[in-house]
Amino acid sequence: MALVGNIRDFGLSDFLYLVDRGYKTGGLHLSHEAEMALLFFEKGKLVMASRRPEDQHAELLVRLGIVSDTQLAQARQSLAARGNGATITQVIIDERLAKQEQFQGQLQSFTEEQVYGLFGWPEGEFRFEQNQRPDPGSPSIPTPISVDHLIMEGVRRIDEWGRIKDRIPATDMVVRFLEQPGEKAKGVKLAAEEWRVFARINGRDTLAEIAQKTNLSDFDTCRIVYGFLTAGLVDVQKKPKPMPLRPGAGAVEPPRVKRSLVNRIINRIKSM
Amino acid sequence: MQTVKMVVSGAVNAGKTEFIKAISEIEVVSTERRATDDTKMIKKETTVAMDFGRIAIADDLVLHLFGTPGQKRFDFMWEILSEGMLGLVILVDSTRPETFRETNRIIDFFVSYRDTAYVIAANKQDRPNAWSPDELRLALRQPPHIKVLPCVASDRESVKHVLLDLLYVIQERAED
Repeated sequence: MALVGNIRDFGLSDFLYLVDRGYKTGGLHLSHEAEMALLFFEKGKLVMASRRPEDQHAELLVRLGIVSDTQLAQARQSLAARGNGATITQVIIDERLAKQEQFQGQLQSFTEEQVYGLFGWPEGEFRFEQNQRPDPGSPSIPTPISVDHLIMEGVRRIDEWGRIKDRIPATDMVVRFLEQPGEKAKGVKLAAEEWRVFARINGRDTLAEIAQKTNLSDFDTCRIVYGFLTAGLVDVQKKPKPMPLRPGAGAVEPPRVKRSLVNRIINRIKSM
Repeated sequence: MQTVKMVVSGAVNAGKTEFIKAISEIEVVSTERRATDDTKMIKKETTVAMDFGRIAIADDLVLHLFGTPGQKRFDFMWEILSEGMLGLVILVDSTRPETFRETNRIIDFFVSYRDTAYVIAANKQDRPNAWSPDELRLALRQPPHIKVLPCVASDRESVKHVLLDLLYVIQERAED
C-alpha cells in the first residue's frame, strides 16, 4: 500500500529518514504546484532522482557527457539482448562504455542537486509506492547514495537559502555590476567557478539564465552572486516588466500628480 | 469629492497603527486581533488586516492613510493598497535591527516595479537604544537622495514632519 501525505506535515527530511532506517525500496512521487519529482530508493539508498520526465530516460547520460549517442545505442542493443533483470547502468559499466568513477561522479552530482532543490518546497503531495523500481532503461546510479548525507546537506542549504534569499529573493532577478564598487571589493580573489558566473554578468541576464549558461545549479549561482553582493561588486534588481503599449503611442507613463493638489495637502497638514 | 491615498508600511511592530492614529481626524479603523503566530512574542495585539485613517483637506479633497499588514502572509494586500498611491512612508523600529532585513524586503516590494515617492521614518527615536537615521540609511542600504527621517510615531508633530517631508518629495516630482 502506498504511503501518501504532504511534506508540509511530514517533512522531506523526515521521510528520507524513514526510508533510510526502514531500508525501504520504492518510488517516491512528489508534486508541488506545477512541479514534480520522482525518486527511487533501493534498500534505503537513493538510486535515481528526476524533476523532469525527460531526465528519466537514458538520454540524460548523453546530456551529462557520460556516454555518446553511439555508445548509448550500443548499450540499448545489449540491454535488449540480455533480457530480464539487467539495467542500462549495468550494461554501460560491464561493457566499459564509460568509466565507472566518472559515471558515478557526474550522475551522483546531478541526482543530489535534484533532491536538494526539493528541500525548498514548503509543501507538496507525496506518494511512496513500495517496491516500485525504475525502468531498466532509466539512468540509475551505479552505487546508490546514502540518504544521511542528503538530509544533512539539504537542511544546511535551507538555512543558507534563507540567508541568501534575504538579498536575492528570486532567481528572476537581474545581476549588474556596480559603477563604483565598495571598499570591500578591493583585493577580491575569485575561484574558477566564481569567474564563470562573473563573466556572465551583463546587466540583462537573470540569475536563472546565468545558472543555465554556466551549467551551475540555481543554488550555487545564487550563493556565488550573494558573495559578490556582500563584497560590494554587484547588485541585483527585479527584471523590469515590459511596459504595455497603446496602439499608436509610446510606452505608457504613470499618471503624474498636479503640484497644486500637493500644495493644498501640504498647507492643510501644516495647519493641523 | 476627490480622494488621494498614502500608504504607511513597515515590519511588524514598527509603529504603523500609532503613526496613523497620531494624525488621523477620524477614529482609526483598525482590525486588530489577538496575534496567533510568532508576532505574539513581540506584542499581544498586532495588526492583522489594515489601518485606515482620514484627513479632510478641503470640501472636495480627502487624504486617506492606509497602514499595511505587517506579516508576510498578508503580502497580497500590499499590491492592492499600493495601486494609485500618492506616496509611501516606510516605518522602521530603530531599536530592533532584526527587522531591518524585513524592512528592506518591504521597500523592495513597493519600489521595484514602480516609481514610488517614499521616505523612511526611523521610529522610536525617543528610546535610548535607537539607531540614528544615518546608521539606518547604511543598514538599509538607501542612496543619499532618499530621506531617512527621525520619528516618534506617538507624537503628532513628529508624524506631521514625516508626512510633510514626503509631500515635498512628491511636490518635486509633480507637474504644473
